[in-house]
Amino acid sequence: MTTAPIPDRPATRPARRAPTLDGKRLAAYALIALGAVLTIAPFYFMFVFATHTRSDIFQLPPPTWFGSNLDENYRNLVERVPFWRNLWNSLYLAVLTTGFTLFFCTLAGYAFAMFSFKGREVLFGLLLATMLIPGTLNIVPYALIMQALGWIDQPRALWVPGMASAFGIFLMRQYIGSSIPRELVEAARIDGATEFGIFRRVIVPLTGPAMATLGLVTFVQSWNGFLGPLIIFRTAETYTAPLALRSMQGIANTDWGALMCGVALTVVPLLILFALASRQLIEGLTAGATKG
Amino acid sequence: MQATLKPPKPRRRPSWSDFQRRYAPYLFISPFFILFFAFGLFPIVFNAYLSFHQWQPGTGLGEMKFVGLRNYTDNLTDPTFWQSLKNTAILALLSGLPQHLIAIPLAFAIQGGLRRMQNFVTAVYFLPYITSIVAISVIFFTLFSWQYGVINSVLNALSGLPLIGALFPSEKINWLGEKEYVQSAVAMVVVWRYTGWNMLLYLSGLQAIPRELYEAASVDGATRAQQFRYITLPLLRPIMFIAVTLSLIGGLQLFEEPFILTNGSGGAGQAGLTTVMYMYRTYASYSDAGVAAAMSWLLFIVIGVLTLVNNRAFGRSGLAGRD
Amino acid sequence: MRQLPRLTLTLTAVLCAALGNASAQKTTLTVGVFPDLDSVVKAALPGFNKLYPNITVKINSLAYADHHTALTTALSTGKGAADVVAIDFGYVARFAEGNGLVDISKAPYNAGQFRNQFVAYTYPQAMTQDGRMVGMPTDIGPGAMFYRTDMLKKAGVSAASLNASWESYISNGRKVVAANPGSFLIPDAGQAAQIIIRTGLKSGEGLFFDKSNNVLVDPKNPRFVRAFTIAKQIRDAKLDARAGGAFSPEWTTAFQKGNLATEFSGAWLVGHMQNWLAKDYSGKWASQQLPGNTFASWGGSFYGIPQQSQNKTEAWALIKYLTTNKDQQVLAFKTTGAFPALRSAANDPVFNEGVPYLNGQKARVLWRQAALKIQPLDVNKLDPIAEQIVNDALNSVLDGSKDITGALTEAKNLITRRAR
Repeated sequence: MTTAPIPDRPATRPARRAPTLDGKRLAAYALIALGAVLTIAPFYFMFVFATHTRSDIFQLPPPTWFGSNLDENYRNLVERVPFWRNLWNSLYLAVLTTGFTLFFCTLAGYAFAMFSFKGREVLFGLLLATMLIPGTLNIVPYALIMQALGWIDQPRALWVPGMASAFGIFLMRQYIGSSIPRELVEAARIDGATEFGIFRRVIVPLTGPAMATLGLVTFVQSWNGFLGPLIIFRTAETYTAPLALRSMQGIANTDWGALMCGVALTVVPLLILFALASRQLIEGLTAGATKG
Repeated sequence: MQATLKPPKPRRRPSWSDFQRRYAPYLFISPFFILFFAFGLFPIVFNAYLSFHQWQPGTGLGEMKFVGLRNYTDNLTDPTFWQSLKNTAILALLSGLPQHLIAIPLAFAIQGGLRRMQNFVTAVYFLPYITSIVAISVIFFTLFSWQYGVINSVLNALSGLPLIGALFPSEKINWLGEKEYVQSAVAMVVVWRYTGWNMLLYLSGLQAIPRELYEAASVDGATRAQQFRYITLPLLRPIMFIAVTLSLIGGLQLFEEPFILTNGSGGAGQAGLTTVMYMYRTYASYSDAGVAAAMSWLLFIVIGVLTLVNNRAFGRSGLAGRD
Repeated sequence: MRQLPRLTLTLTAVLCAALGNASAQKTTLTVGVFPDLDSVVKAALPGFNKLYPNITVKINSLAYADHHTALTTALSTGKGAADVVAIDFGYVARFAEGNGLVDISKAPYNAGQFRNQFVAYTYPQAMTQDGRMVGMPTDIGPGAMFYRTDMLKKAGVSAASLNASWESYISNGRKVVAANPGSFLIPDAGQAAQIIIRTGLKSGEGLFFDKSNNVLVDPKNPRFVRAFTIAKQIRDAKLDARAGGAFSPEWTTAFQKGNLATEFSGAWLVGHMQNWLAKDYSGKWASQQLPGNTFASWGGSFYGIPQQSQNKTEAWALIKYLTTNKDQQVLAFKTTGAFPALRSAANDPVFNEGVPYLNGQKARVLWRQAALKIQPLDVNKLDPIAEQIVNDALNSVLDGSKDITGALTEAKNLITRRAR
């Protein structure tokens, strides 16, 4: 997990030079560790519950160590729902949504951050305003659009509208505006690069951490999305993972063990993705910005 | 997107570079606006129209009945609506402030202080964000339950300790059954869930701060605390602006956490009933879509005003980046 | 991947053509349900397909609330609903409004012909004031009181004294809780209010509205005042576990720990108690009628046909099989404990057997009696809304944030506003 750049450049980081374990530092570490334990606790329970029967889950005290019911929970899970199919559906949606969002939002963020053009303020204001509208009531109009397009039960009803987000543009604009010197862009222009060329060769390589952040959050939101898929998908085979897992919840009769098993399995791909994204993020951090 | 890369048109050969420079920004921002006009505008118009009508969802679109401004006046004279606004404001503050007060120093510590643990600590703090709260709702009940909850057990055990015991309650706290505690419980979950996300934002922002500044300060004998105060905080402003704005908007539209924790009821004394929850209840349980739509517009105005205030507070430096 | 079902269909078509069997045109019927009803439909398919080999049934299950949200949206927009949809009794009045669901009282369905075969109170639940009917009843939840025989014995309290009246339920309940430290009389005080609201009706009254659509929720209406008062007394005497709704985790844990002395619920609860909820307490629970010799129902489900369905004939065939076929109704009871809405099914020998979990008590006879005594209620289209508003008011009284008069006044205003 530890990255090479740390020993590589010891001299550039005064903070890393012979850190003495004084009391303050120790206290800070203890605090961070305590926070980490509290943060991870519910998460830990999720994996523990996945290995217990539902009777055990509601015991007092609740189980705190892994049980022996994982096999049966898993069997019940795949018997109730086509789980792997559902997981694949989620993956398909999340990958498409994230890919397009990264591209379009970085592009638009670049435009808003680096160009002065007529209507920029108004358009950006409009973009921000769209974030302020509570989307909770959009169920019916959204269903109407998708029916008019004939996109019911089709994944594109979710990833096409999700190809760009106001939040993503906002994030990229703030990041590009504050971290990439205008001189770099100007220099590239003088060299005769097209605007898209500048985007590709100057902007994209320098926005790694922000893109990692945006990619991660877009992926997570798509992955965990629920209300949209509920309106669109009509058959057990097209359900996304969260929808399928919820379909196992009865008012009275829920196999919590199998459900937690599904929830835990649904989190694993996100963990893998996070490991990848965080490497990009942390490596960016330790390597430092490439400009002065 | 390929359009910008096409060879210049022969007709106006010398001005191709001007041409693409001039229209590139419009082209670059167009995908969002095209998508917005295709998918985002109609719901807004629909809800605006709906807010002047009486309509029970499930009855078909033909059943809408025009009622003028009545839905708006109904909301403004409904004490529960005002209470929900108050709850929302309190919850936004109670859950918003700690997120940033924890996330900024945390990001700073992770970036500079922790060596081999960087990846691991970042991952741990970010875990809650990637978890679907709907999926793990049952775990929160295990934690917050009045008679059987883990939190109460731990607190009670701590209260039995010597010296620090007095700091902890010896009675079981009915987290979701007494109005004094509902908001704290909800805020705890929101902080738990979003602190890592803010930490991530700040981490990516910290990277934009040139290392040379720290090095120079260090040579001048500045302590870590002083570096944080005089270099990190001022230069983190653009990202702080986005993080705070997002927390503000998210906080005022808070729905999932209180909904799950209070099982949709708002908890004791309706203290956990946020405006979006009340809107959803009006739509789904009271089947009064018109009043709910009017409520969403009223909430939009509130959020808009507060966002503008926040914008002012951060000044132009926040919104405009380095301009 | 998504071509798979299509491929199967094509294959089937090719095979049928190859065999020269043109009449074997298969219809695919979709059924939108929620758990546990999905298990009932699944269990019904072999029997159904024997009668209708040319109908392929596809079950699309969603969580209870999600199913109704999706159905509301589909009915609002006129597209996207399944051919047969399950509707919980709490939603059926809401869907009866508008024209999203087929009126099955009309030809070719003529559901009215089966009316006297069903438990009396079921039909009116699915009917509008003007006589349209949108769902066939399939299961019901005759209400019963469950109690812990060992806990009562310890306190020297008899079951008969516990359910003689609400007053005696509270006074004897105090003794039970006192004799069993750490126990609670009832999961939530609100349950008592729910029962009183549903049982003390004067003739000509609906639950929340009278025949001429006047709102009955009022600080002067004795039924609501009594309901709120009794519930508040239970709460103030610290007799309830404040567990909220049934099947909340708090409720579940209280059950599993054996901390509850009584519970009011539909008869179907026994199945859950036996299977997982209170496995360790087999033989210690017994059943009685509700306090004050009253009868109320817990839940119940219906099947309806959306107007937008392209396969209404087949849909009706399936609904008829699920609801009016005695063997299927008995099978449903055996599958999930869903108490049959069809009266002949409740006369099956299985209902005269003792229930092992209840120490051999012939409780099903008791429940059958209750089912027959539950009064039909006048249904109002705003019932679900009024119910939600009254529930919110009740909660605010129970947690002490409002007094009874204030809460009922506010509830009245909120309901009146939506009733105009």
